[in-house]
Amino acid sequence: MSARLLRGLVTALILMIVLLPIYWMVAASLKSNLEITQQATLYPHAPSFDNYRRLFSEKQFGDYLTNSLVVTACSVALSLVIGTLAAYAIARFHLRFNLERTVGLSLLTLRIVPPVVILIPVYLLMLQLRLLDTWLGLIITYTALNITFCVWMMESFFREIPTDLEEAAMVDGDSRFTAFRRITLPLAAPGLAATAIFAVIVTFNEFLFALVLTATPRAMTMPRGTATLIGRIDTDWASMAAAGVIGALPIVIFALLVQRHLVRGLTLGAVK
Amino acid sequence: MSARDRWLSRERLQGAGLDAALPYLLLAPSILVTLIVLVYPLWDGIRASTQFYRYGKALRDVGLENYARLWDDPQFLNSLWVTLRFVTASVAIETVLGLALALFCLHEFRGIKLLRTVLIVPMVITPVVVAIVFRLIYASDAGMLTAFSEALGGGPVQILGEPTRAFVGLVALDVWEWTPLMFLIMLAGLQSLPVEPFEAARVDGAGPWRVFIDHTLPMLRPVIAIAIVLRTIDAFGTFDQVFVLTRGGPGEATRLLSVLGYDTAFKFQQTGYAAALFLTMGLIILALALAAVRMLRRAGES
Repeated sequence: MSARLLRGLVTALILMIVLLPIYWMVAASLKSNLEITQQATLYPHAPSFDNYRRLFSEKQFGDYLTNSLVVTACSVALSLVIGTLAAYAIARFHLRFNLERTVGLSLLTLRIVPPVVILIPVYLLMLQLRLLDTWLGLIITYTALNITFCVWMMESFFREIPTDLEEAAMVDGDSRFTAFRRITLPLAAPGLAATAIFAVIVTFNEFLFALVLTATPRAMTMPRGTATLIGRIDTDWASMAAAGVIGALPIVIFALLVQRHLVRGLTLGAVK
Repeated sequence: MSARDRWLSRERLQGAGLDAALPYLLLAPSILVTLIVLVYPLWDGIRASTQFYRYGKALRDVGLENYARLWDDPQFLNSLWVTLRFVTASVAIETVLGLALALFCLHEFRGIKLLRTVLIVPMVITPVVVAIVFRLIYASDAGMLTAFSEALGGGPVQILGEPTRAFVGLVALDVWEWTPLMFLIMLAGLQSLPVEPFEAARVDGAGPWRVFIDHTLPMLRPVIAIAIVLRTIDAFGTFDQVFVLTRGGPGEATRLLSVLGYDTAFKFQQTGYAAALFLTMGLIILALALAAVRMLRRAGES
């Protein structure tokens, strides 16, 4: 057997292993429950979008989607802005008592602590603050969880940019802010993109905190809403499949659009 | 640039007057948010873990009793054992498959772009949805396995109702979801290796297997080690997929520590005991990470 043929076969096999399960879910989402359980067809014989229509008309999937988009957008934007400012301070200033290094190291340490450790106390905190089942409660939680990651990533990107460029701009009469905006920020843009993409994926997909902090369609995110649907209707496979497709679609489209930056961000930390 | 130069240039950048307060203002929001939402809860969790709770109310201080009770609790010990088996099996399979796949994709060929794009999908899909995908595969009445088995003349396939098969099914899910990440990390590592040793070995007449054992594996070791550490830490905290796929069952066959902790806290309302469980779990993960980092450093020195 030629090497080329073998290579083709292996590629086809891998593609099948990855795609067949996804195909099966998409196919099931277009079938009726009767067709799924009684006829066990390998493809939808009478494809229809009824399952999807039901999700949006009866099961509040529009709400879940809105909640997810708002919470993800707000918390990623907030943590990026807040984290980038701190990362800039840590990378560029030398403070009394090595304060900037202490802050940087503390944030890195907090990053290593697995989030499950603070699950219960964050729930109790949000209970006290009356922020359970609200956008704000989720946004605050996700912002904090993302900040440690943003600071750590952005600090390393800022350190790669020589200070000379900023200094030159400031000698030429730029204020520190103008120098930051005109020189440093554009140079750090690829890093900012990689950080943002990673944060968007992690935040959109987050389930454990959403499970504990939300209870109604008022604030439930996509993964949370999907899991609830499954809990209630154990054998409604058709709805479950459609919910899975709707739940996965936004983030898969997003990831494929930003693929280049994504792969860089995912592998960067490990290889460096 | 020496440390002194860097310090000097920072001093110059820092300027005087208004600028002096600037770095503190830049750091303040991050410090404030993490203090309220991460540090305070961490402290509060430690405090809660020393309390006895009934129906969600702290009744009395019990010191370290919750921690001691864990190690006599058959449910905790079972979950710890299930978790260790799950992590070891998943990470081992993912490492071998990921490395094999990376070696396979090292040379450009037609279709590799498509392959890389498709491999991104499993790891970015919402974990909850991955669990749905696998429920639709395993379901005995509607699943893909049953459908294929019946198309070939066989009967329904039972997976999630039987302890061993459910556990294997969970590992298969994890392998499907995370082998691509291992692959990407290994591929980036392989591509960063120097070319010369491989060419020299080939000139010396070494076969591909010898080249792999003598050159590729030793040079790639740091990358492999880091990939294993990252994945191990992550796998140890797996929750979403089990919660949706099996809810820990059948019986306790797939009840990972995270699921036990969640049930203890939110189903049985034993807040203090659950806090102790989660903190113990966190400490185990930290210990694993630190041990791995030390092992790495020693391997790097030798």
